[in-house]
Amino acid sequence: MDQMEQTTSRLELTNHLVTLFKNTPSDLIDKIIYLIQGKIRPDYEGIEMGIAEKTIIRIISQISNISIDKVSHKYRDIGDLGSVAESLLENKVQTTLFNEKVTIERIYLIFDKVSKTTGKGSQEIKLRLLTSLFNDSSPLECKYIIRFALGTLRLGIADITIMDALALAYTSDKKNRKFLESAYNVSSDLGRVSRVLALDGLKAVSEIKIELFIPIRPMLAERVQTSKEALEKVSGKGSVEFKLDGERVQIHRKGKNVEIFSRSLENITHYYPDVAEVSRSIKLTNFIIEAEVVAINKYTEEFLPFQELMHRRRKYDIAQNVENYPVSVNVFDILWASGRDKTNLPYLKRRELLKDIITNVEDRKLTLISQKIVTSVEELEKFMAKSIEFGCEGLVVKQTNSPYRAGARGFAWIKIKREYRSELVDSLDLVIVGGAHGRGRRVGKYGALLLAIFDKNENVFKSVCKVGSGFTDEVLEELFDELGKYKIPNKHARVYSKLEMDTWFTPTIVIEIIASEITLSPEYDAGMNSIRKGFGLSLRFPKFTKKIRRDKNPQDITDETELIQMYRKQRNIKL
Amino acid sequence: MVFLAKTKSPDEWKAVTSAISTLVDEATFEATVEGLSFRGMDPSHVALIDISWPNSAFDGYECDSALKFGVRIDEFSKLMKRAEKKDAVEVSVEENSLLHIKILNGYKREYKMRLIESTGGSTPLPKLNFNSKIILTPASFDKILSDIEVVSEYISIESDEKKITFSGKSDSGEADIIIESGSEGLEELQVKETSKATYSLDYLSKITKAISASGGSLVLEYSTKMPLRLEFRVANVGRIHFYLAPRVQD
Repeated sequence: MDQMEQTTSRLELTNHLVTLFKNTPSDLIDKIIYLIQGKIRPDYEGIEMGIAEKTIIRIISQISNISIDKVSHKYRDIGDLGSVAESLLENKVQTTLFNEKVTIERIYLIFDKVSKTTGKGSQEIKLRLLTSLFNDSSPLECKYIIRFALGTLRLGIADITIMDALALAYTSDKKNRKFLESAYNVSSDLGRVSRVLALDGLKAVSEIKIELFIPIRPMLAERVQTSKEALEKVSGKGSVEFKLDGERVQIHRKGKNVEIFSRSLENITHYYPDVAEVSRSIKLTNFIIEAEVVAINKYTEEFLPFQELMHRRRKYDIAQNVENYPVSVNVFDILWASGRDKTNLPYLKRRELLKDIITNVEDRKLTLISQKIVTSVEELEKFMAKSIEFGCEGLVVKQTNSPYRAGARGFAWIKIKREYRSELVDSLDLVIVGGAHGRGRRVGKYGALLLAIFDKNENVFKSVCKVGSGFTDEVLEELFDELGKYKIPNKHARVYSKLEMDTWFTPTIVIEIIASEITLSPEYDAGMNSIRKGFGLSLRFPKFTKKIRRDKNPQDITDETELIQMYRKQRNIKL
Repeated sequence: MVFLAKTKSPDEWKAVTSAISTLVDEATFEATVEGLSFRGMDPSHVALIDISWPNSAFDGYECDSALKFGVRIDEFSKLMKRAEKKDAVEVSVEENSLLHIKILNGYKREYKMRLIESTGGSTPLPKLNFNSKIILTPASFDKILSDIEVVSEYISIESDEKKITFSGKSDSGEADIIIESGSEGLEELQVKETSKATYSLDYLSKITKAISASGGSLVLEYSTKMPLRLEFRVANVGRIHFYLAPRVQD
């Protein structure tokens, strides 16, 4: 793992993984995959370790015989308990009655037990379970075990890289990745895919199909800047839908049983009992549909911005929040009906199916997303104006005959966002990678945050700007607490930044940024040398929109190629 | 009837369950014709309990064939607590995977508790030679532990032919307790070779507090930097062995 953390080259990383997989017994491969992904089970099962930092500090103190105060102090200094353990657990004082080898199987078994331990006294039991691992592990191993336990382990290995390595290890041909990818896209469980591959072979993998109550990785849209471009991409005829400013959800139902999954495949049913309830009112009883859930005004039923909806993602007072922040469910796709996979049907056929199911479009609680077939730029722009009137973010243009391609981003779906007043056309989603100490009102907090874009090809995050405006004290407070968890002593191995910062973070938290334009800058690493030698790209007057994109993973943010394209487009417009 | 064990009071069971609860929350008992036994290690592999409860120690004991049964210790203790000191207790397993607990005193109360899946895999016992053997009353040992606990989380035990020194230290201070042979509470001291080792007080205090109430005697055996074994001899139970791995520190 240490090797992998230090590796920035994707090819090298793939080779490490291939070696690892080849040396892994088939029935352990799924466990290895989960551990690499930093989880115990697929995301949709929502299983967490539930370990308090305090518990880890106690373990380190007990094993090393260094007082809790000293361990806590050291933690404040370096900001990562894994590294604290690595340096302090050189000398372990507590011996054990029996030494047991630390194997992946044992680590997994213990993590599994830890995640299942709940209730009174559970931290004590978790402490003892983990202690057994630490007692038998080297300091370096302890570092990773702790990071995993606290959920701060981010090897940052893209799923694609894992699948490349799986294909190479088991079929000796990277091309077979596409079979793994489609199985992964419908099952959202790379552990399961790897296990089937290792035990039953490639053919069995291609037989993994959509199942109810297992979320499908969503189909994604590419983005373009102009209506003309969008229409060209769909060969002159497209179905246009409102792009609502809400949360995209996948609703699964069988009989009375309803489960709701987020865009990042988390099970969010408990946050939305009202959405589950309206889903039960649908006359079709066996389905998977996709919808945009949007907060609406209690009295006027007008759409409200995304921030309002985020009140619904709090763990407590759910009944109260359902009452105070009502939502509208805007259905836009159907993937499964009455026991049959519908993803291969062309888009318009799926839309027909939806029309049969959702008949009362006047009811804002459960309706079909507004849609229109357009064949000209004028029609498209009129619809855009209408969407903005309704408080939407823009439009999604869809090819009328395309199937639903799970997990894929392509030009079958295209998003166009509304223009911000005389500002950069689009907002960007960026990940926080560093921070500078604040002054004045912000003493003890961060004055500015260093943000980065994602480079898909190299699997790294590249610095793009520092942002300090747009933060309210409340948001700043929230961010500060949360960022504390991701603090690391040095720049993350997969972050490129020429700038030195006071603190560094594991790229985790994604925020939305608007800016007046994209400029050339020698200080930032994004798009370095792509436009001019020695210059990267940065943002002029970046401003935080107050949206923390909890629904997005760092791999889902604005990509470097997108940023370069945006820069080029902006130049064209000026000329 | 598969297994049935009678005791004159709930105290025997209380001693056994409270000893086990210091290490694990689920326990698998093994019943044979000879008697009842339990062996389990805490998850961190630092301590182990080995209980042997021979059929002769019960007021009545029946076991047709060997069987294992698993219980959640806290649930079992909760039910046992309903019995008073003078109540006779009958614990049995029938062929319905329920544990029956009958409390008899004038009238009859019966609890039925769901058994849990017993965990397989037997725990081995560490092979040890002991150079020092100390016999104390559990109450005096408990007092020693409490004395040290005021300043330290660990206890060092050093013994030679004439005396035993219990000590502990931390950033805040140190504690030393010297017990010479012939002192009150010390029943026997046998030292083949001067021994010194350090152990976690947390484990020692918990187990000693759990059992000392039942009286009896306590045998402490250990060697330099090696695991320690405590043997509790509890009336009407037999013996409880507690193994604890040392801490290695200066």
